[in-house]
Amino acid sequence: MARRTSLPVTFVVPTIAILLVLSMVPTLYAIVIALQNRELSTPDYSWVWLSNFVDLFLDRRFLNAVWVSVKWEIVTVVATMVVAIGLGVLMFEVASPRLRNVYCLLFIIPVLLPRVSAAFVWKFAYHPLYGIATYPYRLLTGGLIFDPLSKPGTALFAVASVDVWQWGLFFAVIVLKLLETLPPQPIEAARLDHARRWQIHAYVTLPMLKAPLISLMFVKMIESLRSFDLIYVMTRGGPGVATETLDMYAFSQGFIESGKVSYASAMAVLMMIATVITFTMLWKRVQA
Amino acid sequence: MRPGRLIGRIVLAFAGFMAVFPLLWTALNALKNNVDIITRVPRLVFTPTWANIGYILGRDSVLTGLYNSVVACGSAVVIGIVLGLPAAYAVARYPNRWAGDIQFFVLSLRFLPPVAVAIPLMVIWLQVGLYDTLPALIITYSLLTISVIMWLAIPAFQSVPKEIEEAAFVDGYGAYSVFWRIALPVAARSLAGAVAFSFVLVWNEFLIALMLSSSNAKTLPIVASELSQQGMNVPWGILNASVVLLSLPPLLFLGVLSGFLNSVFRQKKT
Repeated sequence: MARRTSLPVTFVVPTIAILLVLSMVPTLYAIVIALQNRELSTPDYSWVWLSNFVDLFLDRRFLNAVWVSVKWEIVTVVATMVVAIGLGVLMFEVASPRLRNVYCLLFIIPVLLPRVSAAFVWKFAYHPLYGIATYPYRLLTGGLIFDPLSKPGTALFAVASVDVWQWGLFFAVIVLKLLETLPPQPIEAARLDHARRWQIHAYVTLPMLKAPLISLMFVKMIESLRSFDLIYVMTRGGPGVATETLDMYAFSQGFIESGKVSYASAMAVLMMIATVITFTMLWKRVQA
Repeated sequence: MRPGRLIGRIVLAFAGFMAVFPLLWTALNALKNNVDIITRVPRLVFTPTWANIGYILGRDSVLTGLYNSVVACGSAVVIGIVLGLPAAYAVARYPNRWAGDIQFFVLSLRFLPPVAVAIPLMVIWLQVGLYDTLPALIITYSLLTISVIMWLAIPAFQSVPKEIEEAAFVDGYGAYSVFWRIALPVAARSLAGAVAFSFVLVWNEFLIALMLSSSNAKTLPIVASELSQQGMNVPWGILNASVVLLSLPPLLFLGVLSGFLNSVFRQKKT
């Protein structure tokens, strides 16, 4: 369709120009702020160059936040993929087409909820005295208290479970749709060779879906970084600093505790550099 | 194989139950008095009350939040449609050497940590005098809606059969009217999914709204999260009602989005 027309220019240039301005201005400004010592309480500031970054690496709470973020990424991405593949394969194997449609609709519901809603729903459910999710424990133990959100050892997993509830079920729908698009012949062939059902999936169907599954994981890695709302509502980074991820710590440094905007911005810049480098490399790999 | 199948069915049914039960329970709690919520044994039978929902709908802060959410998300989505759809069409149909870079650039906007965008924007809007206003929120959200709509609309336009467009050119249509009269209507279903998706995304957005508003421009998620901090006596019923109110708009798109998923994966097959 190599026609001479102004359409590509008039359609693309304004949009990309606007996107560039909207994304580059804050990005560059974040770097500028990170090199200064701005605080919310005073309008004065001066250039301190890299000292915010030096301070960060001496800040044990920052190092803890890095570790919590890494844990969060690993736990949520792995659990989401396990749940998604498990339920997707199960639907493919045991559910009739009609039932599949019902499950698909049900499984999309959690991911549509605002994270704030999802966080509240589960915060009630995990309430040690009145929660519906802790009720079985109270029933079985005769009224003992189980408070997953306020124990350092379980808080991260309790919050992560909500993330997996939202994304794992949704991804299960996608895994099912991917399985449905596969050509039936290899599966038939494996069946003729008396392969068991789990073997068919482990050695035939899932390897065939390797590329889309990796893309799916990639999407989840990006989305897992946006878990601020979940943590903010459910634990505020607590108990102590057990669930304080990088964005939570940046937020509390910049706004709640001290208003050190520059310090928070330095953290944000580091996150930005880390994610852009990691995801660009991963993306090139996925595409190759 | 039989017992395995049965176990599989049970696991699936349990997962389906888990998907909706917490939300249904919340909706139920929204109809309860506090005494019926604060019980050691969950209560299924109770006298329903409309007080919580009435309270929520009567609060000025909630109504303002609802208004702000609708205006901010609605405007950002409209801007996303106006700027994103044509650009997506041009990238899909007139590929040049930048097409790949454009697609990667649009995707890479999603890598940016929201804090990294929100902190500088807050300082910028404060300096410009637009902090805590809807225009600031709309402009910020547009970045999100334009990029998401573009990202999802490029494949949607690519899947429109080229022959239809060629035929229209032969019939004497210009490039622009092919876009208006052929590409847009043919891809409409997938495009509606992309638009709905971008709406859900900004409606559910929390961090940017939290940092860019202090009193006037608060969106519904912020108002809902603040209700939980009302002193020691947690108004459980009211809180549950506000969660339900906040969750309803995205759920309205359930049908559109599941249709969108179906159409995306049907295309892959061919």
